[in-house]
Amino acid sequence: MKKQNRSSRVINTIWITVCGIIFLMPLLWMFSSSVKTGPEVFAADFHWIPKEIQQDNYRRVWFTSNVPFWHLYINSLLVSVIGTLGQVLVSSMAGYSLAKINFKGKNAVFITMMVTMMIPVQATIIPRFILFKAMNIYDTLWSLILPGFFSITSIFLLRQFYMGLPNELMEAARVDGATHFVIWKDIMMPLTKPAMVTVMVLAFVNSWNEYLNALIFLPSNKNYTVSLGIQYWMQMTDEYNLMMAAAASAVIPIIVLFLFCQKYFVESIVTTGVKG
Amino acid sequence: MKNAKNKETLAGWLFLMPALIIFLALVVFAVVSSFLLTFTKWNFLSGLSGIKWIGFENFVKLFTRDRKFITAVRNTLIYAVTTAPVSIVLALLFAYVLNGKAYFKKFNRMCFFIPYISSMVALAAVFRFLFRSDGPVNAILMNVFHVAEVPKWLNSTALCKIPIICVMIYAGIGFSLIVYMAALQNVPRELSEAAAIDGANSVTQFFKITLPIISPTTFYLCVVRLIAAFKAFTAINIMGMSDTAPSLVTEIYRNAFNSYNFGYASAESWVLVALILVITLVQFRGQKKWVHY
Repeated sequence: MKKQNRSSRVINTIWITVCGIIFLMPLLWMFSSSVKTGPEVFAADFHWIPKEIQQDNYRRVWFTSNVPFWHLYINSLLVSVIGTLGQVLVSSMAGYSLAKINFKGKNAVFITMMVTMMIPVQATIIPRFILFKAMNIYDTLWSLILPGFFSITSIFLLRQFYMGLPNELMEAARVDGATHFVIWKDIMMPLTKPAMVTVMVLAFVNSWNEYLNALIFLPSNKNYTVSLGIQYWMQMTDEYNLMMAAAASAVIPIIVLFLFCQKYFVESIVTTGVKG
Repeated sequence: MKNAKNKETLAGWLFLMPALIIFLALVVFAVVSSFLLTFTKWNFLSGLSGIKWIGFENFVKLFTRDRKFITAVRNTLIYAVTTAPVSIVLALLFAYVLNGKAYFKKFNRMCFFIPYISSMVALAAVFRFLFRSDGPVNAILMNVFHVAEVPKWLNSTALCKIPIICVMIYAGIGFSLIVYMAALQNVPRELSEAAAIDGANSVTQFFKITLPIISPTTFYLCVVRLIAAFKAFTAINIMGMSDTAPSLVTEIYRNAFNSYNFGYASAESWVLVALILVITLVQFRGQKKWVHY
C-alpha cells in the first residue's frame, strides 16, 4: 500500500511538473528572446541562453527610443501607486462608514453599488471619455488614476473586514467623546492592515496591467504606460528581440512583487475573486 | 439625542463622500448617459448639437444590416464557450493534483499562477510570435508530430481565433486554480476515506464526492470566467485581429474611438450588457440542477 502510494505520488509529480514547465515556457522564451540578436530569435538551432547576452536590447528599449521605458515606468508607477493608495484610503473610509456608522440610506447606497458591479466598464467608457474631456483630464495620467480610486470590490472587502471587528473596540473611545474620524484613524483602520494589503496587491496589479483605459485616455507618447509601450514596439518594428525586451520589462516587476508577497496574492483571489 | 443622531448621519455621509462622488460620476452618470446614447445618432466630432434622437434605429441596424457586428457577437460567444470551460476544467485537474500527494507543489502552483498576473499585453505579444507560421508552435508540429502542411495561424479567418483562445486560457487558469485549491482544502477527508473503505476507487471518489462538494465553487467560476471572456479585448487587439476576428469589445472600441460614432457604439455596449445579464441569469436558473449547497 505504501509503495503504491509513493509511486502514484511520483507519477503525479512528474506530469504536473511537465505541465507547469510548459506553462512557464512562453515566459522563459520571452526572457530568452529579449537577450538575443534579431536573427538568433528565428534561428533554426534553438538555444535558451544565447552565446552572447545582448544587453543592448534593453538599452534601446529603455533609453534610446521615442518612448523610453524609463519614462513609461515612471508613468505606470505614478498611476499604479497613487491609484492604489487612493483606492485603499477611499475604500477604507467607505467600508468603515458602511459597517460601523448607523445612518439612513447606507444600505441603499451599498446595494446600488453591488448591483452596478454586473455592468461591464465597457458600457461606461464613452461617457467617461466625454466627462474627462470636460474636466480637462483627458490625456493626463489623472484619467487613469481617478477611476482607480473607486473599486466596489475593495469597498466590499473592507466593509466585510470592519463588520468582523467588535463594536466594543470603539465604545470606550465613543464614551470619551472621540469623533468617528479619530476612531477610524487611530483604532479601527490599523486593525484592518491585512485586508488593506490584500486590496493593495490586487489594485496594483490591475492598474499596472491596465490596457483598454490607457489606450483610450492616453493618446500622447509622453503619457504612455508600460502596456502602451509594448504595443508601440509591436507596431514599430519586426524585431522580436526588442518587443520581448519591452514585454519582459512590463512583467518583471509583477513577478518580483509576487515572489515577495505570494500569500497576499492568493488571499486577494480567494476573498474577493473578481478581476475587472 | 437628536443632535447626536444628526452628527452620526453627517459622519456617515462624510466618510462615504469620496467613494460616492466618484461612483455617481463615473458609474451612475456614465451608465445612465450611455443608455440614453443608445437611442441617438451622434458623431462626437460634430459636437453636442449633432446629437439626434433616433429611437431603436441603432439596434435595428445592428441586428439587420451590420454583418461585422453579428460576426463579433458570434466570435464573442465562441471565445466565451471555449476559454471559460477549458480553463476551469484544467484548473480543477491541476488543483486536484496539487492538493493531493505530489512534490514541488509550490513551484508548480507558481508556474500556473504567474501567467494570470502577467500583463495580457505582454502575453499576447509572446503568443503572436509562438503562432507565427515560422514560429515555435509550427516548428514543433513539423519536427515532433511530422505535420507536412503547417497552418498559417495568424492569417486565416478560421484559425486565427485559436491563438487568441490559447492565450486567454493560458492566462485564465491561474485564477481558477487558486480558487479551486482553496475550495478543495475544505473538502473533509473523512468522506473520501469512508468511500475508499466501501471500495470506491479514486475516480469514483472524485466524481461522486469531491465534485458535488465543490460545485458551488465551479458555479462561481463559471459565472465570473464567462463574464471575463465576454469582455475579451486585449489579446485580440494586440495580436492585430480586430478586423479578422473581432469581439464585441473590439467593435465597441472601433466604432467609438476610431470613427467616433458614440451613439452606435453605446448601442453595441448595451448589447454586451444584455448578453452578460442573460448568460448570468440563465446560469443562476440552471444552478438548481447541479449545484449542491
